[in-house]
Amino acid sequence: MIPLAGLLVGILAGLYFDVSVPLELQPYLPIAIVAALDAVFGGIRAVIEGIFNDKVFVVSFIANVLIAAFIVFLGDQLGVGSQLSTAVIVVLGIRIFTNVATIRRHIFHA
Amino acid sequence: MPDPTPGPDDTGLDSSASPAEPAEPVAPASPAEPVPPADPASPAEPAETPEPVEETAERPAASPQPFIPGGGRFTPAAPSGTKRLWNAVRQRPDGGQVLVAVLVALLGFGAVLQVRADDDDALANARRDDLVQILDGLRRQADRLDDHVAELESDRRDLVSGADTEAAALEQAEERARSTGVLAGTIAAGGPGIIMTISDPDHDVAAYTMLRAINELRVAGAEAIQIRGGGNDAAVRVVASTSFENPSADVLTVGGVELEPPYEIVAIGEPGELSGSMMFANGVVASIEGDDKGGAEATVDEYDDLTVDVLHEPQAPQYARPAPEDGDDE
Repeated sequence: MIPLAGLLVGILAGLYFDVSVPLELQPYLPIAIVAALDAVFGGIRAVIEGIFNDKVFVVSFIANVLIAAFIVFLGDQLGVGSQLSTAVIVVLGIRIFTNVATIRRHIFHA
Repeated sequence: MPDPTPGPDDTGLDSSASPAEPAEPVAPASPAEPVPPADPASPAEPAETPEPVEETAERPAASPQPFIPGGGRFTPAAPSGTKRLWNAVRQRPDGGQVLVAVLVALLGFGAVLQVRADDDDALANARRDDLVQILDGLRRQADRLDDHVAELESDRRDLVSGADTEAAALEQAEERARSTGVLAGTIAAGGPGIIMTISDPDHDVAAYTMLRAINELRVAGAEAIQIRGGGNDAAVRVVASTSFENPSADVLTVGGVELEPPYEIVAIGEPGELSGSMMFANGVVASIEGDDKGGAEATVDEYDDLTVDVLHEPQAPQYARPAPEDGDDE
């Protein structure tokens, strides 16, 4: 309940405040969002499977975001930023697909 | 649909899905399920699980369940996933959820920001090929527009110079119209000249004398001439078609207008020459004054600025028209 409310509050805040993304954060924000989405879907899956732990969720959320941003940062430093971004997106996308597939199987039994 | 889930997970799920059905009525009654020994905590309160379970991809590895032998992972007695989700949503909030909520709120906030930032500059996340193509198109468009600008500028130059030429031509034409008007007597003329006053109380000055005086003035370069009859205050501009006649002995008409003495001839031209042409021996003045008959007197005065303001009404020629072979040698 509270996480749902938090999501709503976050979206509304993003719509309400016209904050522009700081320039130095701009390459990392999309990756960080995808990483966070991965963590969120993993968390939903864990809830459905009955093994959710909020401490684990928090740690994995933050770690996911930081690691994804760090990988992109490293790629930028090495001159392969766009390729590494693509790699991170692909990996996270596969994980999101996996998690969503599991959730789907639990909910629809199919 | 791509399903990257590992094989054993897949088969185990499908086989366990159908056995889960009979267990469902049991689930709401006893949240603490006895059947799966591997799942220690109650599934409705998953937050209490002490295991360091990584709930993302590592989950199968970290799961304490012996899921490999034949679908023991989702045990039939557990509440269904939907139910667990519903329970989790309805669960009474505790402190741990607040942190989760904050993180999820951050996610929503960042996602919205990113989406809105993307709205701002669509070029920022375009691919390189697209960018090159866009750049190419823009460059071609800029070239076309440059051509267009050059074309329009040359048009503008043409028009401006044309307007200048036209203005010059107009000025020239106006100037010519003015001088022609002076010659034709249709506009007033001003300048240095002489006034010759002829007092002729006895009407002795004949049209011939007057014509001679006008002719002498013309020889001396008079450019505009008018004759005023002081007696009846009639005046005539002397132009090319002006005639002089004496319809009867005592009457002088100039251009069809009867003039009464004293006459006042205003001529514009070089004053010295004009007065000289009047005054030379046996000239006009002498012939006027030398008439034995009476007391005609002629006086000539030179002026620096005179005005010939009597106008001639030109009439369209009835018979003469421009001969075509003359051409218009402007």
